[in-house]
Amino acid sequence: MFQISSYVQPSEQYKNSFLLWHGPTGMDLWQLLLTLALAGSSDAFSGRETTAAILSRVSQSLLSVNPGLKTNSSKKPKFTKCRSPELETFSCHWTDAVHHGLKNPGPIQLFYTRRNAQEGTQEWKECPDYVSAGENSCYFNSSFTSIWIPYCIKLTSNGGTVDEKCFSVNQIVQPDPPIALNWTLLNISLTGVHADIQVRWEAPPNADIQKGWMVLEYELQYKEVNETQWKMMDPILSTSVPLYSLRVDKEYEVRVRSKQRKSENYGEFSEVLYVKLPQMSQFTCEEDFYFPWLLIIIFGISGLTVMLFVFLFSKQQRIKMLILPPVPVPKIKGIDPDLLKEGKLEEVNTILAIHDSCKPEFHSDDSWVEFIELDIEDPDEKTEGSDTDRLLSSDHEKSHSNLGVKDGDSGRTSCYEPDMLETDFNASDIHDGTSQVVQPQRLKGEADLLCLDQKNQNNSPYHDACPAIHQPSVIQAEKNKPQPLLTDGAESTHQAAHIQLSNPSSLANIDFYAQVSDITPAGSVVLSPGQKNKAGVSQCDMHPEVSLCQANFIMDNAYFCEADAKKCIPVAPHIKVESHTEPSFNQEDIYITTESLTTTSGRPGTAEHVPGSEMPVPDYTSIHIVQSPQGLILNATALPLPDKEFLSSCGYVSTDQLNKIMP
Amino acid sequence: SLLLLLVSNLLLWQSVTPLPVCPGGAVRCQVTLRDLFDRAVVLSHYIHNLSSEMFSEFDKRYTQGRGFISKALNSCHTSSLATPEDKEQAQQISQKDFLSLIVSILRSWNEPLYHLVTEVRGMQEAPEAILSKAIEIEEQSKRLLEGMELILSQVHPETRENAVYSVWSGLPSLQMADEESRLFAYYNLLHCLRRDSHKIDNYLKLLKCRIVHDNNC
Repeated sequence: MFQISSYVQPSEQYKNSFLLWHGPTGMDLWQLLLTLALAGSSDAFSGRETTAAILSRVSQSLLSVNPGLKTNSSKKPKFTKCRSPELETFSCHWTDAVHHGLKNPGPIQLFYTRRNAQEGTQEWKECPDYVSAGENSCYFNSSFTSIWIPYCIKLTSNGGTVDEKCFSVNQIVQPDPPIALNWTLLNISLTGVHADIQVRWEAPPNADIQKGWMVLEYELQYKEVNETQWKMMDPILSTSVPLYSLRVDKEYEVRVRSKQRKSENYGEFSEVLYVKLPQMSQFTCEEDFYFPWLLIIIFGISGLTVMLFVFLFSKQQRIKMLILPPVPVPKIKGIDPDLLKEGKLEEVNTILAIHDSCKPEFHSDDSWVEFIELDIEDPDEKTEGSDTDRLLSSDHEKSHSNLGVKDGDSGRTSCYEPDMLETDFNASDIHDGTSQVVQPQRLKGEADLLCLDQKNQNNSPYHDACPAIHQPSVIQAEKNKPQPLLTDGAESTHQAAHIQLSNPSSLANIDFYAQVSDITPAGSVVLSPGQKNKAGVSQCDMHPEVSLCQANFIMDNAYFCEADAKKCIPVAPHIKVESHTEPSFNQEDIYITTESLTTTSGRPGTAEHVPGSEMPVPDYTSIHIVQSPQGLILNATALPLPDKEFLSSCGYVSTDQLNKIMP
Repeated sequence: SLLLLLVSNLLLWQSVTPLPVCPGGAVRCQVTLRDLFDRAVVLSHYIHNLSSEMFSEFDKRYTQGRGFISKALNSCHTSSLATPEDKEQAQQISQKDFLSLIVSILRSWNEPLYHLVTEVRGMQEAPEAILSKAIEIEEQSKRLLEGMELILSQVHPETRENAVYSVWSGLPSLQMADEESRLFAYYNLLHCLRRDSHKIDNYLKLLKCRIVHDNNC
């Protein structure tokens, strides 16, 4: 049969059903009419009662859908609640019918039936007691009450069923409220501000606890008199419970309610118990606990400050580095910029002597090697090509950019500070550092003769440095100047460069460094033969010794140890020969600045050691005079015999050392 | 649900320590009658909670609003057992009969519970919540039955093992092809289970107060 879902017994769950009567909800009129049609036409319904029930429901729903059908607005009586307080009796209540119509409906009647298997067909019996439970109620005493047997009740008015309900008594248990609430003082705090009390009550008298017929649990709620929200405690099985930490100067209200342990519905609340605690002390101290935010803030700030100061003034360099990383200054490998600035060559040389960094492993994995980069980001510079190209007016493709990590590490570390965590710090210093270093050079408008990678346009210039070709770190401003000189002056080197450049696969970076051997008065840069790259080019191949020694420097920086330099030195002259255009190779005359050229031109220290083409020309010279910001003056280094003490040096020798070395 | 957790923990603890077997007529037993009853009451309460939840979930999921309730009332297979229907009747029944009755009810549910578990397990999209509860109820029912038989042997050692129990014949209805009928069969079974577990719980609490506390709980 067509089930009017909303009109079926409101809920299959008895527990919640009684308080959740829902009458005919809004139904579609269409559905209603269809139901009517079905109900009217069909005879197949089993039992007269179901038909009547359906009809009544339909009529009721019709009324609800269109209240105007009835003469006037009148509420139908319906069940509000059925309740058993002690599992021995129960009663049902309903709303009174409100009639404004002319017709006076007959008395409302309640019929019930017990669905017992033994009874067979159900018969509806009338309510045994309309009075005991009050108005509009039906009371079933214990003789009429069977606990686990289902009941169905219905309200009738004028012979028509108005409402119907089915349930079992064990599902409608709602105990009475507890009685005899009282409290006793447990103790008062020492300050006299808080107190503990014990609240006791008794189970509702009609619940048979002693025989175990009912097992109740209780819920206590309490609050201050002024408050609106009740504080709830967890359900308990006993009939007394302590309340802790009540304020003495406040009044409290306490109430308890009970419920059958297995069911879900609580009974009514008991009467409210007023708790007024005895005040022991005359004065009430404000013991309110305010969270000491101020204290916390103060302590926190002072603690942080102390820690900060500890770090600031701590001798521990590491911690200090972590907290306050030092602003990196431009560093040339092996040279302290301060020393450079101040021109203390002695100290510089000492430092360089200490430097022990010619071990390849030190530089092997450092892409940031001791090159000071200049303006890496300058697009113009990039597009213009490598230094060598500029010098040699070569337009070969530069593959410097693909060498991977840009050597953005100029001045990253100096040789004597290998453990400084400067790799991260110096990345940003490139431009600053280089600018600082570049400045003096720019001032003079000359390519720097430092053989320091002040500008590292390529990533690993030393890789490709061929002994035959030295590439100075040229300032972009100075590109043009050296070029004309070198183009005519170093065809062979140019050739070598070309060979190198033409072999990009072997040349990871065609932009290599060459040593500026001289600066002409005109300001042009004369390159001395540089080292070949490891891959070797034709020219380099011609000098296996050089390539051999070069191989040692693969991972080395542009500056090599003196020991290795010695190996290379004999070769150098061969290569050097090519740059025949250089009239006088006097390393002594390699100056960074034109100004210093004049001043230091007369340096005879190493003149004899650089006899031009015969003398081995080291690729790199030491710094003789440091005149910052004007620049550096390089010493020629002829190292016929390595001296032990210089073995560890990084290719730089001081003048004194050089003198010692000189035969 | 917290209560359920606590009770289940309690029961797990209980299950670890098995009920000692007190030979009939033994004067001294390791577990007192009081403890036995306490455990039994805890078990029965737990089973009833599980049954209620299982029924609610089933109804909510499958049969809400189908009007099964009007058809399913009091068609349980244990209705043939003469169980007291109110407090007076319960007070009139003798201790021995009462205990035997409880044992009978528990025995009657052995087979239905077993089939319930297998059938629910075999359902397509077997509802995990319902299945787990059914399994748990079956397990705990067996345990409760053992406990009750033990109590019975302690309180009334002369009682012979009588195999009175109701036979359940509802298995075919659980396997019917028609979905409506099948759902109604499940609904009925779960409804009866809830009712009977409540009965057993109540009876045990009554008996406990009567036997252990001498009607003065």
